[in-house]
Amino acid sequence: MVASLERFDHRIGHPVAPLGRSSEPPGIWALAPGQVAGLDGGPGSGMTRLGWSLLAPHAQRGQVAYVDVRGWMNPAAAWESGIAPDRLVVVRCDDVTVWGRVMGALVAGVHGLFAEVPAGVRDPVLRTVGARARTSGTPVILRPLGGALPGGLAHLRIEARSVAWDGVEGGHGHLRSRRMGVEASGKAARGMQQTIEVVDGQGAHDVRLVSGVGAPSSRRLA
Amino acid sequence: MCVWYPEWALRRPDVSPETLVQVVDAAGLVVARSVPTARAGVEIGMHRRTAEAVCPAVTTLDQDATLEMLRFEPIVEAIESLVPRVEVVAPGEVMVALSGAITYYGGEETLVGRVDGELDRFGGGHRIGVAFGPFSAHHAARRATDTVPVRRVEDDSFLENLDVSTLGSDDLAATFRWLGIRTLGEVAQLPIDAVTARFGRRGADAHEIASGVDRTVDVRAIPVDPCVSMEFDPPILEMEQAAFASRDLARRLIERLAPHGVAPHRVVVRARAADGTERTRTWRSVDPFSDGALAERIRWQLRAWIDGVSAGIRGGLVRLEAEPSELSGSGRQLTLAEDAAGAEQARRSLVEVQALAGSDGVLVASEQGGRDPVDRILWSRWGEDTAASARDVDAPWPGRIPGPAPALVPPDPVPFSVRFVDGIPDQVRLRARWEPVLSWAGPWRAVGRWWHGESHADRYQIVTSVGAYLCEIRDGRTWLLAVYD
Repeated sequence: MVASLERFDHRIGHPVAPLGRSSEPPGIWALAPGQVAGLDGGPGSGMTRLGWSLLAPHAQRGQVAYVDVRGWMNPAAAWESGIAPDRLVVVRCDDVTVWGRVMGALVAGVHGLFAEVPAGVRDPVLRTVGARARTSGTPVILRPLGGALPGGLAHLRIEARSVAWDGVEGGHGHLRSRRMGVEASGKAARGMQQTIEVVDGQGAHDVRLVSGVGAPSSRRLA
Repeated sequence: MCVWYPEWALRRPDVSPETLVQVVDAAGLVVARSVPTARAGVEIGMHRRTAEAVCPAVTTLDQDATLEMLRFEPIVEAIESLVPRVEVVAPGEVMVALSGAITYYGGEETLVGRVDGELDRFGGGHRIGVAFGPFSAHHAARRATDTVPVRRVEDDSFLENLDVSTLGSDDLAATFRWLGIRTLGEVAQLPIDAVTARFGRRGADAHEIASGVDRTVDVRAIPVDPCVSMEFDPPILEMEQAAFASRDLARRLIERLAPHGVAPHRVVVRARAADGTERTRTWRSVDPFSDGALAERIRWQLRAWIDGVSAGIRGGLVRLEAEPSELSGSGRQLTLAEDAAGAEQARRSLVEVQALAGSDGVLVASEQGGRDPVDRILWSRWGEDTAASARDVDAPWPGRIPGPAPALVPPDPVPFSVRFVDGIPDQVRLRARWEPVLSWAGPWRAVGRWWHGESHADRYQIVTSVGAYLCEIRDGRTWLLAVYD
């Protein structure tokens, strides 16, 4: 299932070119080549889905990879977010001593990287990953499983605040969509903390700015 | 059988082979040079500037493949008059399938002798390689000499002594050399599993070639008639119009195949003249044709037919057709958004990661049928062919949980604590605390395979303030199946 690439300009509400072909500067949700995003939230917070949405535009250009530390990653969620099955490679690596070298090799080659960060990875290793991402122009999304990313590493930091599901009630229905409240910070958020509501349904994300600088906006992620 | 003319690009009226002369392609690389130029140190593949530095007196000419094919066409026709199955690889080189013709001529030696004698009419200088497959024949022809123009490959010992550089991949050859492997014989002795795990599909191809099994095209069936054609009324009389038509035809052919992820290794080009005569020529390529490469070959062929010494296209061209065969998914035409150099870089990175994480640690997934999220994914090692699943995705799979797909699925169910009040889920234990259940759906009954001793299970989707979970109750215990992350 490939989601639509069409995005909507939040200022005038008109369709704009798909990610990667647009001439306008990338916004919060368009991770530019070489940038690092950090996702912070426990299992169930929706951060994995958000990560796939950030990665999906880069999978249009070539191979992307996911570093799976827990061994729990379900590629069907990535496919629903618009990443073609033949564009996704999953690397299972739970060894902290090898994790940095695996990341180094992947950052140098793939078009986008989404990685779980195992507990115990030292800050210099993470900073090296960030530096290599900038050098090679590979966007990297990091999801720490224990601890936090070192300060200044992530261009965009997204922290889960709340999640509310629609579709189930008293034993009837089934899960359909959810509203996630997240806080975005870092350079991509103009250096300020912004509260954002994301509606996630079947792989498509409607993003709405709830607070922060600028008028409320709405656009489609993937 | 391979018939090859060394330095074919130099066979042109404005070149004297005794002078210092070289021909360079559009990229500025030397593709042919005269014997005196070779003696001066100029090598094939050398950059023009380097060659001119090595041999300052050399005259450099630009390659014109169209004219090369025009001059080569009479030779192809001469071979075709003896053996019908001729496939042009490039101007100056053809492959000929001998299997049927050997019986007709009463033996391979007689047949090759007839071809050799026929080619002598064109001034000689050709080389002939006879082997069991195109790769061996290609290299056998290159090891023939002026004095012994026919080289026969009787057994695999010919391949054993070939250098790894003949595999056609510089980085693969460099890695083999670094590992102390210098000949194809040494490659063939490596275990196929180890080569595939280390180098992926390319390694498996190299091992097949080294083992005497020529590159086998991974032929894939496609559900459409892949043949494309164009009709011209009035007939095309100008070469320029024919060139446009060839470009359009090639683009249409590749576009028709692209949605199926395939590209052809062999294309039969047919042209019909206004007087009803039809000309046919088969072109083949080791790598699948791109639209540019195919348009180029159709254009060369039309020029050779139109301006050639034989009958030509009398009255103009009224129909042009391209019929692809040997369709394969390897090296298919990239879309505009794809990055070919990046794909190669990604492949190298993943090979490196395989060495670090092990071949079982680098995986690709495909969809298959199943009731549980974990059953719906078919994992296979990256670089290896994906095994076809017998589980139909479109089958109903009763008990299947509807989408969206959970983002996290443990490989085996994990114990999960749920408190029920009057049969309704009330609280779930997440780490050290009990979290109230806000809403829930289910249960969906999953009927187990009782003949395997599998019990039935009830599945629930449970929503809390921190996330949603898919769990099941089986044999009185609750298990976590997936997390909607």
